Amino acid sequence: MSALAEIQPYVEAFKARPNAAEPAWLKQRRESAMQRFAELGFPTRKQEAWRFTDLQPLQRAAFPPPSSVSRVAAADVAPWLYGAAAHRIVLVDGVFAPELSAIGALPKGVWLAATAETLRTRPELLDAVLRETDALGAQPFIALNAALFADGFVLALEPSVVLGGTVEIVHLGRAAKRSSQLRNLIALAAGSRATLIETYVGEGDYWTNAVGVIAVGAGAALRHVRLQNESATAIHLGHQRVELDRDARYENFTLSLGGRLARTDIHLKFDGEGAACGLFGATLLRGEQEGTIATVVDHAAPRCVTREYYKSVAADRAHGVFLGTIGVRPHAQKTDANQLSKNLLLGARAAIDAKPELEILADDVKCSHGATVGDLDETALFYLESRGIPAAEARRMLVEAFAAEVIERIEDDAAMRAHLGHHVARWLAGGVA
Amino acid sequence: MLEIKNLHARISEGREILKGVDLTVKPGEVHAIMGPNGSGKSTLAGVLSGKPGYEVTEGQVLFQGRDLLAMAADERARDGVFLAFQYPVEIPGVNNMYFLRAALNAVRKQRGESDMDAGQFLKAVRAKLKLLEIGEDLLQRGVNVGFSGGEKKRNEIFQMAMLEPKLAILDETDSGLDIDALQMVSRGINALRGPKRAIVMITHYQRLLNYVVPDRVHVLSGGRIAKSGGKELALELEQTGYGAYGDAA
Amino acid sequence: MTDTAAAHNLAPLREGYKYGFVSDIESESAPPGLNDDTIRFISAKKQEPQWLLDWRLQAFHQWQKMDSPHWAKLRIAPIDYQAATYYSAPKRQNTPKSLDEVDPELLKTYEKLGIPLNERAALAGVAVDAVFDSVSVATTFKKTLGELGIIFCSFGEAVREHPDLVRKYLGSVVPQGDNFFAALNSAVFSDGSFAYIPAGVRCPMELSTYFRINAAKSGQFERTLLVADKGAYVSYLEGCTAPQRDENQLHAAVVELVALEGAEIKYSTVQNWYPGDAEGKGGIYNFVTKRGACRGARAKISWTQVETGSAITWKYPSCILEGDDSVGEFYSVAITNNFQQADTGTKMIHLGRNTRSTIISKGISAGKGQNTYRGLVRIQPKAANARNYTQCDSLLIGDKCGAHTVPYIAARNPTARVEHEATTSKISDEQMFYCQQRGLSKEDALSLIVNGFCKEVLKELPMEFAVEAQKLLAVSLEGSVG
Repeated sequence: MSALAEIQPYVEAFKARPNAAEPAWLKQRRESAMQRFAELGFPTRKQEAWRFTDLQPLQRAAFPPPSSVSRVAAADVAPWLYGAAAHRIVLVDGVFAPELSAIGALPKGVWLAATAETLRTRPELLDAVLRETDALGAQPFIALNAALFADGFVLALEPSVVLGGTVEIVHLGRAAKRSSQLRNLIALAAGSRATLIETYVGEGDYWTNAVGVIAVGAGAALRHVRLQNESATAIHLGHQRVELDRDARYENFTLSLGGRLARTDIHLKFDGEGAACGLFGATLLRGEQEGTIATVVDHAAPRCVTREYYKSVAADRAHGVFLGTIGVRPHAQKTDANQLSKNLLLGARAAIDAKPELEILADDVKCSHGATVGDLDETALFYLESRGIPAAEARRMLVEAFAAEVIERIEDDAAMRAHLGHHVARWLAGGVA
Repeated sequence: MLEIKNLHARISEGREILKGVDLTVKPGEVHAIMGPNGSGKSTLAGVLSGKPGYEVTEGQVLFQGRDLLAMAADERARDGVFLAFQYPVEIPGVNNMYFLRAALNAVRKQRGESDMDAGQFLKAVRAKLKLLEIGEDLLQRGVNVGFSGGEKKRNEIFQMAMLEPKLAILDETDSGLDIDALQMVSRGINALRGPKRAIVMITHYQRLLNYVVPDRVHVLSGGRIAKSGGKELALELEQTGYGAYGDAA
Repeated sequence: MTDTAAAHNLAPLREGYKYGFVSDIESESAPPGLNDDTIRFISAKKQEPQWLLDWRLQAFHQWQKMDSPHWAKLRIAPIDYQAATYYSAPKRQNTPKSLDEVDPELLKTYEKLGIPLNERAALAGVAVDAVFDSVSVATTFKKTLGELGIIFCSFGEAVREHPDLVRKYLGSVVPQGDNFFAALNSAVFSDGSFAYIPAGVRCPMELSTYFRINAAKSGQFERTLLVADKGAYVSYLEGCTAPQRDENQLHAAVVELVALEGAEIKYSTVQNWYPGDAEGKGGIYNFVTKRGACRGARAKISWTQVETGSAITWKYPSCILEGDDSVGEFYSVAITNNFQQADTGTKMIHLGRNTRSTIISKGISAGKGQNTYRGLVRIQPKAANARNYTQCDSLLIGDKCGAHTVPYIAARNPTARVEHEATTSKISDEQMFYCQQRGLSKEDALSLIVNGFCKEVLKELPMEFAVEAQKLLAVSLEGSVG
């Protein structure tokens, strides 16, 4: 498809959008975002951030937003649900499905609702976030999302509110050759706390294009788990923009299992002193899957701490990519940042690309990174086999242990660890070559 | 040799720690400065050796009649002030032997002596190593890199023996040592006692003083010398503790 | 221009006449500008055979289609390639007649580095023939080498005397169109060095040690080609520890190494071109393409570099590990002070089975210097059991400088193992104080600690080079501690 032909279906889908009763500023935002997308076109491999990403699955066909709503029974969603969730929002093909959701009773000072609903009743929550879309505009899929998004979720906590129960968001993709353009927002005011799990699942070949904007206020703490379990033929692009105020804590764990082409971007900025982030995750790939974790951590304030640890496994002809940048700006003294990428290459035709990058412009810092690529430990394999465990089972066990080691980083939440472990085991039941 | 007059010092832009220390040390004397935690013992060692991060707000320190505080840290060292560190610093990649020779030649140059050649240096090193029971392999490693706590402390005394300072300040040299190492270190210190050399030992405990018997004992408390006496003062402290000097422990 | 091919078979000098360079031939320099005629002029001037002229032109035509590269981390003023002179730099207007006319700062540096008096003049650009009898020295060693069958001569001489060897290997590791600067070099290279070590011969001396002053003059577009035949060994030293006075702003050299089965090449560089002044004015742009190919089983190529000079350095000495069990090594120290920018690293391309590579990089940034490690480790599908270990450490001195680490790892074989580690740190106040408390001055303490930081790389240098390199590190960091 030519560059123009690639964007044309989206331009048309934008024109054909139903004339929703949206505020004027939002309409204007959408117009300019669409224009920017049209100008930028799809990224190419000449752009450093995309040089390892094969966008062909996205280029071979068009994925406009759905024109009708898929009917989904509760039983279809059930296998994916997190048992320990206290509040749940389910979105189908990018649109809120109230009959499948169970938001439940919310404590005072907590706002949890779909994005469209929030725009109708509390637009002020989204105003600033959407106005800032320009800052993300250089990335074409974010611009496209800004133009086309229909729904998503919003979690907003007022100062000092502690939300005890885990919030669960389930994104279900069902419509073939359609895209879910999701715009999500998490805003934690000073001193508040929350735990949230986002699950992405579905059937068939659809495209999830999710943009999340996350703001963690002074002294606030957010645990954000993402379980990317899209269908094996789906495309998943998930972009998170995170800003941390002083002494804030943000933990992101991404377990990536699904998708023909899946990419998770996290762009995190330290805006205040003394904040800390933990970015962790495991990516398991087989068949023709391509999975990318791309992180940019911007230390723009002193005394902040980054702990980054990602693992990936590539079997068969799969392709795993890790792109990690830690930047320390001048004056961000006493930065303590550490990044580690460990990769298992299991298939003779599998591939791993890793690019851990440090950009240090302050001197009183402690920064390090490491990356390894290798096979399963031969001695461990032999040990297991010598105890009578069949080779295939031994490999499965070691891969499970490889993933489990990073899941262990989710402290004080056994239910969450078990939930993720369960999905890893399910994936592994499909066998690793 | 050393005259401290009404010394006030604080941690840079922090609270005042030394609040008027007076102390005179003559050549040939061994002084012990004891005191509870937080009494300012390490600050005193730091100020005397020129460690960055301290600010003298009042008072004077004379070393051999010269204004010690006006001298840079390396000048003081070359003039004969040696600090045995409580926590000796690791310098990866810098060979211990090479480091010591560079330091020794810097000190010798100041004294108007010529550089030691490799043969003389090795001979001197071997003699002192034996005294402290330090293996020669230790010297081929990076400065303090991979040394155990005891090895680091012995290395400090070994360096002192090589550099032959006029004034040695030993900052908690006994901390973290087992009884064998303590005896070895004490032997090293005693070997250096002499009519032209003064030693100031800073310690929390009395046990080092069983092996290196001081001429004078001072109790530092609240940033001042609260009491001075002979070696019996240390034994007295052993009995009564620092309670009387404001340390709850 | 196509109708001129036949004419090239005539005496090369006639070429010059034909294209109207008569007066220029007399003056030993081509007019500024770069076109086919310039290339023909250079080739004619050097009395080169037709195949080499064709090779140059081919490179030039590729270069014309290429864009000058952009680098994220390098700030660089545009270079006007047409304004440069590509052959035999014109007689310098300001060549000093004696040492008295040389910048006293430069002389002070020589003194600190312990450069012998007679060499100082040569390095400073004073005409030296009378002072330093390098020709006879060179001849003496040439005889010794000749007895072993070792060829070591200028590139021009090699083209004349050993055309088959040159033709066989030239461009076989760095193709003409490899990159912008390699293409430019291939088109206009002036001269350089050539060495061939016959099968089974161990070269008894470090090549080029005795040529360091001569080598320093080989110019802006130097071309080096080293071939170690089966089982041969050679250690080659390039450069000089003294800062070189040079008016050329752009240096675009190409170095090609070929190690056949069981051969080993050790290539050591100490680069100390003029870095510009403390305000960032002037200085050399050093854009070098260096690459070695291990063309047989058990071949080994080892690069060691100490980079302290140049305003901008851009170089990635690389290894193509074709032979099974072949080994590539890269040891690097790069210092940037004041306004210097260095972007350096390596590429290790693993093609053969059981190939191994080691990368140790130490970057030191001081003043407003920017230091980037950029590297690639690529394990190709057939490189079973390949191993790589990479360690990149950065040291920052002061809060105005920068350190960047950009490693690329591409693994395509499941039996391969790749490990990369990188750290960034500063010299701690405690380390400085500890050294000072033992009597060392601030400058000595800094130099001691920096040398310790670089130890793993410096120990790879031949002994006499290592001592000079240590002194050089100290000189390069002058003024970086208050």
